Amino acid sequence: MDRTIDKETARISIFFCQRVDSGQDTNRRAIEKELGARIRFYPLPCSGRIDPLQLLRAIETGADMVYLVTCGEGTCRYREGNTRAWKRLAYAQGLIEEIGLERERLEVIQSNGQKTIDEITRSLLARDIRVGSSPLRPK
Amino acid sequence: MITAERKSLSEIKAMIAPYRKILLVGCGTCVAECASGGEKEVGLLASQLRMAAKIEGREIEIKEITLDRQCVYEFIDQLTSLVEQYDVVLSLGCGAGVQAVAEVFPKLTILPALNTTFIGETRGSGVWFENCRACGDCKLGLFAAVCPITRCAKGLLNGPCGGSKGEHCEVDPDTPCAWQLIVTRLEERGRLEFLEEVHPPVDWSKSQGKGPRKIVREDQKN
Repeated sequence: MDRTIDKETARISIFFCQRVDSGQDTNRRAIEKELGARIRFYPLPCSGRIDPLQLLRAIETGADMVYLVTCGEGTCRYREGNTRAWKRLAYAQGLIEEIGLERERLEVIQSNGQKTIDEITRSLLARDIRVGSSPLRPK
Repeated sequence: MITAERKSLSEIKAMIAPYRKILLVGCGTCVAECASGGEKEVGLLASQLRMAAKIEGREIEIKEITLDRQCVYEFIDQLTSLVEQYDVVLSLGCGAGVQAVAEVFPKLTILPALNTTFIGETRGSGVWFENCRACGDCKLGLFAAVCPITRCAKGLLNGPCGGSKGEHCEVDPDTPCAWQLIVTRLEERGRLEFLEEVHPPVDWSKSQGKGPRKIVREDQKN
């Protein structure tokens, strides 16, 4: 498997709790317009709403990296939504590992409540990606 | 409720290796409740199998369907128009469901994707607990609704064994001692006299002693 990936072309999916950024609707659209189809946002009413199937579908449709942005520990509006989300992501990590993909392709990002979703996204886009291009990318 | 756990992906992949077109059939009853064979789990397994095939450069086609009950003919009949289009049926039902589908379609290959585990209760979110062995001769009324056959590791009807530690079983320290529970409950109910009864050995002929059991109700037949 290719171990290098150009972060300028990586395909990214971001599931996020809408409470992380009250202006998320405007802020995410700006990045969507800029980057086009290589970035996909999936707003959730609470990160606890995430289902492992959604994470697998994102990987299956060719995302190189899938991030789940949650509220920080102890700050979930619904008390336990984020801790449930972390467990479900861990379960999905086990499922992709079973088929030979790196569990690092699924990652939790805990928001500190200070950054908007576009700021969080830009910091993710600037990071080096430690996994290769997804073998599931559409040709 | 019947509980089950999914087989490892490597075992499932080995079973379906000779086939390209797969009908993946879940069950919306017991195994959906224990999160092993319902609609979501069908979706997860189908996604895994599709991705694994793509990574390995194999072609595979999967049709997902979840029946309300995989052990009842009226629901299995939904597969009638589908099965001939597929090479194999991969079932996410319990053992009863797999066999029921095979009875209806005897010429087809039906493969199990689950290991059926036990009859139990949902003790909490994500926790299932075995509490019935379907022995066919329920004596819960004598034991304060705690089944010693299932919940005592030694299956003692005339317990306790004396080996429990801190109210837990000496065989598995994570399991509460069934006889501790029985005695405590009978004490709370003021019915400790139940403990004076000496129970004869279990009549296993009502369980598996005579092969598979059958219930026939004329009033329920068509």
